[in-house]
Amino acid sequence: MIAIREPRDFADVFKYLGALWREEGALRFLRICWNLGREPSAAGAWWKSCLIVGVVAGGYSLYMLFTVGHASFNTSSDGVNWGLAIATYVFFALTSSGLTFIASMPMVFGFRELYPIAKRAIWLAIITLIAGFSVLALELGHPFRMLWAMPTGLQVMSPMFWMGVFYSIDLVLLLIKFYLLWQEDWDSPLSHFVGTASFVAVILASGMLGLVFGSIVMRPMWYGSFTSIYYILTGALCGAAATVVTTYMAYDFDRAKMPPVLREMAEGDHMPKVFATLIGIALVMILTRFWTGLWSNLDGLEGFHALARSPLFYGEVLIGLGLPFLMMLSSRIEHKPGMQMAAAFLVLGAMFINRYEFIVGGQLVPMFKGTWVASLTEYTPSLTEWALTAFGFAIALGLYALGEKLFNLSATPQSLMVARAGDRRMAH
Amino acid sequence: MAKWGMVIDLEKCVGCQACTIACGMENTRLPGEHWQDVIFFQEGTYPNTELKWFPRPCMHCENPSCVAVCPTRATYKTEEGQVLVDWERCIGCKYCMIACPYGVRFYTEEAPRYGGPDLKAVFPAADAHSWSPPWKAPQEDWKHGVGVQPHDVVSKCTFCYHRVSKAPKGTADLDPSNPVMREYTPACVVACSPGARFFGDLSNPNSEVNKQIANKNGVRLLDHLGNRPQVYYLTGVGGAIPNTHTTKA
Ligand code: SF4
Ligand code: SF4
Ligand code: SF4
Repeated sequence: MIAIREPRDFADVFKYLGALWREEGALRFLRICWNLGREPSAAGAWWKSCLIVGVVAGGYSLYMLFTVGHASFNTSSDGVNWGLAIATYVFFALTSSGLTFIASMPMVFGFRELYPIAKRAIWLAIITLIAGFSVLALELGHPFRMLWAMPTGLQVMSPMFWMGVFYSIDLVLLLIKFYLLWQEDWDSPLSHFVGTASFVAVILASGMLGLVFGSIVMRPMWYGSFTSIYYILTGALCGAAATVVTTYMAYDFDRAKMPPVLREMAEGDHMPKVFATLIGIALVMILTRFWTGLWSNLDGLEGFHALARSPLFYGEVLIGLGLPFLMMLSSRIEHKPGMQMAAAFLVLGAMFINRYEFIVGGQLVPMFKGTWVASLTEYTPSLTEWALTAFGFAIALGLYALGEKLFNLSATPQSLMVARAGDRRMAH
Repeated sequence: MAKWGMVIDLEKCVGCQACTIACGMENTRLPGEHWQDVIFFQEGTYPNTELKWFPRPCMHCENPSCVAVCPTRATYKTEEGQVLVDWERCIGCKYCMIACPYGVRFYTEEAPRYGGPDLKAVFPAADAHSWSPPWKAPQEDWKHGVGVQPHDVVSKCTFCYHRVSKAPKGTADLDPSNPVMREYTPACVVACSPGARFFGDLSNPNSEVNKQIANKNGVRLLDHLGNRPQVYYLTGVGGAIPNTHTTKA
């Protein structure tokens, strides 16, 4: 049996996986992927269920797409043209951007104590982006045609064109950045340059994704530059929540197993306060958006009334954001690992609802479609759409599992560990 | 170069929807896939209310937001003013449907709109077409969005590009009562029995459409959005177009 070791570079990943596959046979290879991480672990069990979901949901959605095609979606030309699949894409793309912001904290802004989460955050940013792109590709009518039609069309007026450009640059820079950390290059000028460039690219990418919606004056629920800011900042919140969840998961939900720098951070006051601040910013943005939406009489804003009547909205604002906000402010519970994780999960759930509500809600007022179309469109995602979303999550989680298996995602620069060890000796 | 435009006189329009049917026949549309639709709406509140209607084709806007957002340039505006979709470039992203304020665009892959039967399943195509109707009009030109479309693209009214583009250069009016021009005139204009629809060159000051717009105070739908439609409505006495999307209280 080949020992599990970290590959040296991207080519080595494939060579190594190929060798593992040949040596172990397909079944044992799958078993190794299945028994991921420091098995048996809590995270491992979680992954297993995610992988099952992935195979079932992916199988079902692909089957439906190949047999029935996109008619298996409940989206319609009469109202909601972009449904759950686009909401899932936006959720993943913005979570990826948020993770890149988190990774930039140590690499661009010099918060060295965040180095231990940088490599994991970058890996997660890569795979959430891949999951988002995969869902988007399955939503598009002709994903392969896009590869030539967008570069040859060069429609510089289209926000979607620029979104494609910036997210592609973002993905390439993330891969380079990951490669550099993998090669233990934490501090070279090149590493810093790539870090800075990727930070700029991700601001442009997530901002542009906001403008895909924000440029459309015909859809007043989306219109305005606010949408960009909203996407950038709520993306940062998703990135922070995903970092909290996966960091705990990587150490078996056990703080004692964390390296000292991380443990100090998780136990300290800073992390919960930063998290609470990000939640607070999201809450202010969501509530002010709803205020102007409900208050104004402008044609096209009627969708806000429908959204404000839906229980999802209250779940999102009160349970998904309000509760974690209070939890992270309370000095009694903000340090508890279970509470931090619960807060992060709630926030991720709330932000998923938020993406759905933002995208579907913005299309509730139909544009003169058909004679007998109701004043607000009804839309419930079909089973295929839900399966596609589940498939997206499975891709993200499955690739994460693979990452934990193959790479040392907790890698930290030697200098940081040495300095910390020194600190502790002095304290004793 | 002509700049084709349409005038719809709502004083004459009786809401018969013959235009919708003619368009469906001419362009081989599915039931409900109404490139040209007649939208009914209510003005006023009960008991002082009135039923109104207006036919709604694609407006072939001067500032078409659908063209600006299309990431592949599949949607484009011709020199003569038609806004068309190149079905060999369209990736089915539906951004144009999001950006069109008049709701005139249709995605091909959808469940049947009138509750079935699903004609695409009844008459499936063996080739790249999205379906194979038992009878269809002969013209087909995917580069200009004409004919039965392939799978997974967006379709819309072409201002009957396959007819209008063959009109002799310098034509000012495509008047269906003129036998010479009839075959170049959009199907909906030909079919309109009260003669409520006019088609002609907006860049020619002497064209009938320009005279109608000037003399009868032509207005455009949701003009405040700035798309500058090339379809004008004459509201006169009794006709009306809504100011908002929400045509129902
Ligand atoms: S009506 Fe809509 S589809 Fe037609 S040109 Fe204007 S924006 Fe484009
Ligand atoms: S669906 Fe087709 S025509 Fe519409 S914006 Fe996308 S590529 Fe362009
Ligand atoms: S055919 Fe003429 S009268 Fe009948 S609905 Fe159409 S525009 Fe109106």
